[in-house]
Order: sequence, then C-alpha cells, then structure tokens
Amino acid sequence: MTTAVPAIAAFDLTKRYGGVAVVSNISFSLRAGSKIALLGHNGAGKSTLLGLLSTLITRTSGDASIAGHAISTNPIELRRNIGVLAHLPMVYEELSPLENLEFFARLYEVPEAATRIEELLRAVGLWRRRREPTSILSRGYHQRLALARAVLHRPAVLLLDEPETGLDPAGIALLDQLALDNPAVTVLAATHLVDRVDRWADGVLRLDRGCVVEAPDPVTAEVSS
Amino acid sequence: MSSALAVFRKDLQLAWRDRSGWLSALAFATISVLVYSFAFDLATADIRPLLPGVLWTTFLFSGIFATSQSFQRESETGTFDAMLVAPVSPSTIYVGKLISNLISLLIVELALLVLTTILFDTPLLTGELVLVVFVGTVGYVSLATLLSTLGSRGSARAVLLPVLALPLLVPLLIASVRATGAALGAPIDSAPWLLLLVIFALWSTIGGALLFPVVSER
Amino acid sequence: MSALWQVLVAIFWWVIHTLLEPIWNARWVALPPLTGVMMMAMIVGAVLVAPREIVEGEVQRLMYIHVPVATISYLAFFVTAVASAIFLIGRDMRWDAIARGAATVGIMLTAFALLTGAIWGKPTWGVYWSWDARLTATLVLFLIYSGYLLARAVGGPNDEQAARYAAVVGIIGYIDIPLIHFSVDWWRTLHPQRIIFAPKPALPGEMLLVLLLGFLGILFLTLWLITLRGTTEYLVQRADRVRARLDQLERA
Repeated sequence: MTTAVPAIAAFDLTKRYGGVAVVSNISFSLRAGSKIALLGHNGAGKSTLLGLLSTLITRTSGDASIAGHAISTNPIELRRNIGVLAHLPMVYEELSPLENLEFFARLYEVPEAATRIEELLRAVGLWRRRREPTSILSRGYHQRLALARAVLHRPAVLLLDEPETGLDPAGIALLDQLALDNPAVTVLAATHLVDRVDRWADGVLRLDRGCVVEAPDPVTAEVSS
Repeated sequence: MSSALAVFRKDLQLAWRDRSGWLSALAFATISVLVYSFAFDLATADIRPLLPGVLWTTFLFSGIFATSQSFQRESETGTFDAMLVAPVSPSTIYVGKLISNLISLLIVELALLVLTTILFDTPLLTGELVLVVFVGTVGYVSLATLLSTLGSRGSARAVLLPVLALPLLVPLLIASVRATGAALGAPIDSAPWLLLLVIFALWSTIGGALLFPVVSER
Repeated sequence: MSALWQVLVAIFWWVIHTLLEPIWNARWVALPPLTGVMMMAMIVGAVLVAPREIVEGEVQRLMYIHVPVATISYLAFFVTAVASAIFLIGRDMRWDAIARGAATVGIMLTAFALLTGAIWGKPTWGVYWSWDARLTATLVLFLIYSGYLLARAVGGPNDEQAARYAAVVGIIGYIDIPLIHFSVDWWRTLHPQRIIFAPKPALPGEMLLVLLLGFLGILFLTLWLITLRGTTEYLVQRADRVRARLDQLERA
C-alpha cells in the first residue's frame, strides 16, 4: 500500500567530522511498510546514517524526514515515530526488565502501558524474570529486552543497527516477528548477515564510503542502482 | 513535565538500586570533614568561623563528583542516548536530572549537617541555615549537571570537571559561606548574600535548561 | 518575525557591512602600524613624558600598562563570549576559531595584568598579592578561561562537540563576571585592607593623557593579536581538515 508520504526520506544528508565526510549527500525515499536492508562495508557510514535519521547525531547539512516530520522542523515528533536499536542495548543494568520498560513507557507516553509491557515481556521470554536486575541477563536477553524497548510504543518506523547481534535462532525468530516480518512497520536495518537479507528485505540500500550506491525504488521498493 | 518526572523517578530507582553512587558521595563528604578537622585542628573551642567553609567546600566537591558519576554511567551504557531518542526535548531531561541530583545531594548535605552538629557540638539545623543550603545547592547542582556532559575522551576528564566548575562557582561559594556564617550567628555584614544566591540559582538553572540541548548533541 | 524587527535587523547589518567591512578588510594593513604607533606612544609616554610619582617612584609607571591590560582583557573575553554565541547559532567553525583565539589573547592579558600587579605591589606596598577585589576577580576570570581553553583542546581543532561545550563555558563564564565582581567585592569589604587601588585624587593631566595612550595602545595590540591568533586557529582547523582528507584518500 503506497501512501503519499514516504516513511523515511533523506535529502542530501551529509555528516562531516573534521574535513572528512562520513556520510555524503545521501538521498533516498522509502515507502511505508517496506523492509530495507542497509548494507555496506565497515566504515561505509551505516551506523552514522541511522544515527542521523534518529536525530542522535547532528547533521552537517541536508535534511531527512520520517513519517512526514523533518529533522529540521519537528525532531520531537519525528522521534515519537521511531524505535531504535543501536550497538549498545540502551537499557539500565540496575533496573529490572519490568522497571526498564515502565520507564520507557512513561517517557513515550504509551497508553495502557501495563498491558503492552506484559505482552512484550511475554513475547521476548522475559516475563518470568521480569523483576530480576538486567545485569544478570545474558547478552541475548539484553538484546531481546532492547528489542522490546524499541517496539514498546508501536513506532511506525524501526531503525535497527545490526539487530541480530547476540540473538540465538529463537531470538532471531522474535526479531522477525516483532520487526522484520511485521506488516505494520517500516524497517531500515543495517546488517552483516547477507544470507538472511533475501528472506525479509523488500529492497536494499547500499552505502560505500558514505555514498549511496544502490537504492530501492521509492514506489515499488525494488532495487535500482 | 511528566517526562521530567519520569526521568527523576528513574534516577531515584537507580540511586536506590546502585547505592554505591551516593554512598561514595556520602563517604567522601564524611572523610572530608575529618580531613579538615585534622588539618585545621577543629577540635579546639571556637570553630564557628571555619564551619561554613568546611561545609561548603565539602558540598561542592561531593556535588561535582556525584553529578559527574551520574552522567558518566548513563553515557557508558547508552541509556543517555535512549533518552535522547525519545520524543522529549533535552531540556526536559535536564530538569529531570537536575531534580534527582538535587535530591541526592540534599540528602548527603543533610547527613553531613547532622554529623557536623554532633562532631562540633554546634546546632546546625536551623531554618535559616537549611534555606541557605537549599538555595546554594540548587545553584551549584544546576551548573554541575550542565557541565557534567563533558565528553569522556582522554584521562583528563575527571580532573577537568572541577577545574571548569569551581571558578564559575566562586560567587556561589563566597555567598554561601557568608550566608551560612550569618545563619550561625556571625556578625552581620550588610551585603545581601542570600539575594546573590537566589540570583545565581535562577541564572544557572535557566542557563542550564537552555544550554543543555547544545551540550548533549553529538 | 515582524516587519519592524526585520527592518531593524537589516539596518543593523547594513551598518555592520558599510562601516566595519572596510575596516575588517583592511585589518592586515591597518592594524600593525596603528598598533605599533600607539604602543610606541604609550611606552614613550609612560617612560619619558609622565611625571615621576612622588610616593611610589618609578615603578608606578607600570600603572600605564597594568590598568589598560587588566581592563581590556575583559574585552578579549567579551569577544570570546560573543563569538561563542554566534558559533552556537550558526555552527560555523570559523567563529569557534575566533573565540579560541580571543580567549588565548585574554589569558595572556590577564596573566600580564596579574604579573605587573605583583611587580608594582612588592616595592610599593611590600606584598606581591593583596587579595584586592579587582585583581582577585581577574584571577578568577583567568581560571575560567583557562578552563575554556583546556575544555576546547579536548578532541582536536575540528571537534564540533568540544567546540560546542567550550562555547557554553565561554558564554557562562562571561555572564558570571558581574556575580564574581559583586561577591569578591563584598567579600573584601569585610576586612580592613590596605587602600591599594582605591580611587586616587584626580590624576594630573599628563598622567591621564598617558593612561589614555596606554588604553589605545593595548586596545590596538589586543585587536591585532586576536586577529592573528584567530586566523591561526582557523588555519590550524583547515590544515587538520586537509590532513584528515589526505588520510581518507590514502586509505581508499
């Protein structure tokens, strides 16, 4: 289903550190509901691009918009529509999974939070251990909790940076269920697991040295160069 | 505003769970008083003139140390980013952090006042003194919370924060010490110290809220 | 923005451009000779023209450099604060270079003020340092902007994040100045102290003239040094960018 407003769009997005452009004049447009794999070598700019789109990293020039909200005009509304998975799990080690999600639910003003939290904790297999401190959980369960945090507020768009890291096959199945195969969300996921890409991705956004070398067609999400 | 309260509540939960943070601050404060007692021979009779200075230098150092710690931990685990990615303005995060840092330090200061009352047999918990401590604490905690975002590159970071904060806090230090002295019954001088404290607290809180978005960007 | 506001801003920029731009463009040509002339006038005035002070003797001549240097350091830090604010608004690193340059010059000036104060103080009143309110405030300012430079040095010439943090320090530091002055002043009035820098009975005309020359000389010197240092910082930024770009190309 195509909508007039692209889920994620970038216009000449550039990020420079010192004289070096890590991300250079990136433009693309992703259709709502599409699942796009963000590919490229190490250092190609994938994490930086995801950081820019989530407004964590300040852009040097250019702009981007998510669900119609541009970074330049509406960053707070933009962030309301995104769920982010980064390299670090971004959860509080001293708090329990339940307390973590309760905090984020308050921050995101999630309606009927208790129900939603229980639903997610059960889904990721942390319901039984919901009151234990997060620090004693394994890496895989950290990632599951991070995933729950990312989808807690039912965002329209998911920006995932190597989401499979630390996940066992059951965890990956969860990732598919909550994100990659979820028809309700648009996903832009950086990944190194190229074999899986055909399974879940509608299209590919490939970066090389900060530039787009392959982008999905905005309408059909098929790959074009 | 509810987001600021959410941040504050989360910080309280964290402080309760990981007591080492503020317990270290409390331990540091206690040890400072002891160090001053030995260094300046405070066991002698009239230490009233020295007490405000002892208290406030201890407060400032503990405060800078504690706020720095608090930010450092959030930054290392990525949870600061988690807050930045939420649909709240960084100023809201600042207010939440400010309130939680304020409460933590007020508790440490209260404990220290009780300790000092006992150690030096001087009644310290008067209304006026508590007011001075409160206003002064708001002043330095708001500045320290803003400055605690100093990037963690290099080993100089731990020393750099006091080097940056303390000169900026000179007016607050002078005013707090004088006002505390006045509250303890020192000869009144005509300067409006409490007013200066209030102005400092207002200025640094407003400045902190306005400038926090700038220092929290990457 | 309302129409009136836009008109006022436009007029403001017109003034800046038509009046100051020619001066700005001529800075390399105009400032060195002006500085040289004014500094010479100041030195000649201080050493030869000004009358010998009866009580304090020759060392009193340091006043003609001490007072201007101490005062104009505040101007240098003002430049830092304003440049920092402009940098934060537009994120143009050139303003960070100016801020950094001005702070370096300011530090140099305050250090010099403190030093001349000590040299003047010792033979005259027997102490190098007397906790005089104004000099103490100057010392605090010195420490604040030393902190600014230390914070800025983290991360390198093109580190935008360090530049932003330092800019915040630079701005807060300047707003703190009145508070520092009040608090230190009130603090010192509690204690009877030697009347060291109390307002003297009106200085004789020649002394006043030489003092004025001193102000002008140090003013131009400061402007010139800020120009030099600011440009240096900017060039260091550029060199660093070029080096980074070369590294990137070599790796490719």
